[in-house]
Amino acid sequence: MIIKTILLPTVICLLLLTIIGMNTVFSEKALPTKEEVIWTKPENKISIAHTEIFGILERPQVIFDHNKHTEAFKQEGCKTCHPVDEWGDFRFDFPKKVEKKDKTSVMNAYHDECMGCHKKSVKVKEKSGPVICADCHKEELLFVHIKYPVFEFDFAYHDNHVKKLREKLGKDDCSLCHHIYDPEEEDETLRLVYEKGTEESCYYCHDLDKKRGPELTVITRAAAKKGLTIQKASHLQCLNCHFKYTKELEILKKKKDEKAGPLECTKCHTGKYKTIAELAKVPRPDRNQPEKPFIGIENARMKGVPLNHSSHEKYNRTCRGCHHETLNACKKCHSVTGIPEGRQVNTANAYHNVFSEHSCAGCHNMKKKEKDCAGCHSNIPQMGIETMGPGKKVCSLCHTGRKEPPTPTPLNVAQLDPEKVKKEVTVKILENEYEPSKFPHLKIIQKLVKISNESKLATYFHANMQTICDGCHHQSRAEAEAKKDTPPYCENCHSVTNDFRKTGRTRLLSAYHRQCLGCHEMMDLEKGRKCSECHKEKKEVPKSITSVKNFELPVRFLEKLGW
Amino acid sequence: MDRRTFFKTIGVGLAGAAGGALLTPSASEAQEVFEGEEFFGILVDTTRCIGCRRCERACAEVNNLPIPGISEKANETIYKKVRKTTDTAYTVTNLYETEKGKFFVPKRCMHCNLPGCRSACLVYAMKKRETGHVTWDLNCMGCRLCMISCPYDIPKFEYNQSIPKIQKCNLCYGRFQKGLVPGCVEVCPTEALMFGTRRGLLDEAKKRIAQNPNRYVNHVYGEYEVGGTSHLYLSAVPFEQLGFRTDLGIKPYPEYSLVYLYAIPFIATLTPLFMLGISYAVRSRKEKHEEKHEEKEKH
Repeated sequence: MIIKTILLPTVICLLLLTIIGMNTVFSEKALPTKEEVIWTKPENKISIAHTEIFGILERPQVIFDHNKHTEAFKQEGCKTCHPVDEWGDFRFDFPKKVEKKDKTSVMNAYHDECMGCHKKSVKVKEKSGPVICADCHKEELLFVHIKYPVFEFDFAYHDNHVKKLREKLGKDDCSLCHHIYDPEEEDETLRLVYEKGTEESCYYCHDLDKKRGPELTVITRAAAKKGLTIQKASHLQCLNCHFKYTKELEILKKKKDEKAGPLECTKCHTGKYKTIAELAKVPRPDRNQPEKPFIGIENARMKGVPLNHSSHEKYNRTCRGCHHETLNACKKCHSVTGIPEGRQVNTANAYHNVFSEHSCAGCHNMKKKEKDCAGCHSNIPQMGIETMGPGKKVCSLCHTGRKEPPTPTPLNVAQLDPEKVKKEVTVKILENEYEPSKFPHLKIIQKLVKISNESKLATYFHANMQTICDGCHHQSRAEAEAKKDTPPYCENCHSVTNDFRKTGRTRLLSAYHRQCLGCHEMMDLEKGRKCSECHKEKKEVPKSITSVKNFELPVRFLEKLGW
Repeated sequence: MDRRTFFKTIGVGLAGAAGGALLTPSASEAQEVFEGEEFFGILVDTTRCIGCRRCERACAEVNNLPIPGISEKANETIYKKVRKTTDTAYTVTNLYETEKGKFFVPKRCMHCNLPGCRSACLVYAMKKRETGHVTWDLNCMGCRLCMISCPYDIPKFEYNQSIPKIQKCNLCYGRFQKGLVPGCVEVCPTEALMFGTRRGLLDEAKKRIAQNPNRYVNHVYGEYEVGGTSHLYLSAVPFEQLGFRTDLGIKPYPEYSLVYLYAIPFIATLTPLFMLGISYAVRSRKEKHEEKHEEKEKH
């Protein structure tokens, strides 16, 4: 009885209480996550987190001040922390010895090497680093994320290095940096070789984030095995060389103005990049590339295209802009029918893909989106060869079949017939409400021609004045209109009235407004955004702007009856 | 309960449920096409609107309302605050500043495919016309339930009139019968407002999104909202930023109550029958036997 009446209810009550208690404790919301702070300003600091091994960290990451350590070990040199390989080059790994790549051994390796050194100097009563956990694992650095700007070894730097090294060595030695990897060589130590004429960008083999073709994948896999990402490979290559020359200069104690390459993070990772215009003055490295190759493909239907390679070199920051995988001719991977090496992309698509960054049409389309061009080109749909849009006229601009690329002639406004092309056009469509607006027809043509002539691309493709006219008179047929001797009227296509059963074509009123306003918007012009800039308001306010009154509801009918 | 009575009672219940489902109209039936005539509507492209407020003026003219001043100076002050439609302004244009810049948004009655106001109206004064127009009629009794039921807060009551009416945009139903487009569409200078069949406008809207993927967000407001509306909106920024409600769901408002309303007659008639059947089945044989005995004894 006692068990039934007293014990059982109490046990149940206690159980309930514990369940509720546990529930409240464990359903407590986690600490509010702070927003990530990204350090982009380069300082000589390195984040030690290894999230690829540790996953979510138990303690905050360590931000390591590299400069402090290099200054402290000026006499001892880098070898106190970094291992040296068999050729006497530093490998910029830390810690020196990691037994296994798992959580405990990596953690122990760091703790042993860092704190071992710190403790040593504490014993000798020298100035030392922290030995207590929270001095390195600082709570306030929990959400810091270091993202220094990537250094771009552009052609200006390349040119500089070539010239300096030529002075020093007395000859060109590309093998100092460039090498190829021969995966078929049996002896592993001999796989890295230099061969003249095969110099390429480091990114092709060491950028492990990108998917590559079958040939390169063998090489990138080997690079990935050694952990030679683009970051590691370039630090190895650059810093070792810079280090060697700094030492040499110290020993020789030559003239003071001679300097070796930088060794500090901030000196390379400046976040400043040269523009294409600045790089255009720098000569491109010679690798036996043709100056004006003729792109003629066997078994292709179209005539060949002459390409001005040397001028296209200067429109890009890197060779990788077009030669996205190797420095080969396009047709080596992109055959007429498509082969696995070129990911089945055939020649036609390789050159004409509108959405690719590497194809001719894709790059030219990117140019069309620029402010100056977008006014007209935003209204023209992007055309690949798939759309069947461009006629023979457009294709034959590139596909000339001649070996030499034609030199385009700039447009000239003076060619225009002053009788046909009006200086000023008055538009009276909103006559009822505003004074007629005046449209400076000739002035706009002159401006557009000027913009077109300034760009080499535009000069080439805007072959005659008609192309400029087509920007606004987009559907006019020049041949038909020339015979009739009448100017292209907008209202021939854009009706004045509303036809709501057919929604496709704009009305005249909106065609005017959309043409003018759209162009001004796309070209980012400040002029012509307000109504009053085109339309002068009349003194009298118009009585009505609509044609017919709405249907009168029956209520009004009753009101008329005096209800 | 024997086998026969069990099936009887179940059968009656099932028949009632089936009848209720058949008589309840579904959303798909009421959409788009009605007796061969299509729903008409307006496609509003907010990226094209330049905020000239000519639509407001035209609307006032067409519907005999006080005419607003739409000079550039007047517009500057008016765009300082977000307005709502009133009983004397069926359409208003508001300015919203967003991450992509300034956008003007004209707002008026959305003319839902299955309007909440119509189903809330007790006397069928709100009508959904065969051509998609939602109009108001004289037999209104002034209960203002339409105002409460509208998800867009559109119908407005003339509080300062002796014989008050409900006022809202009727998509220029009168002009439409004469073969004309609504007043606002007629005067729009940039074709930000486009009148046409709902299906044609949806095609056009989708085409514009497909051709300019960078210009528009991939959403046509009004395609599915509250079961679809005749006013369709295109925008460059997410619609919350332009003052649109995005929490409305895609279920038409009448459907929330329609099922229950149609079920009432059936429940009222069938419940007593069902209960009687149950009570008959539940009574034990013994009781029945006793009853028979009693009857016999009485005789």
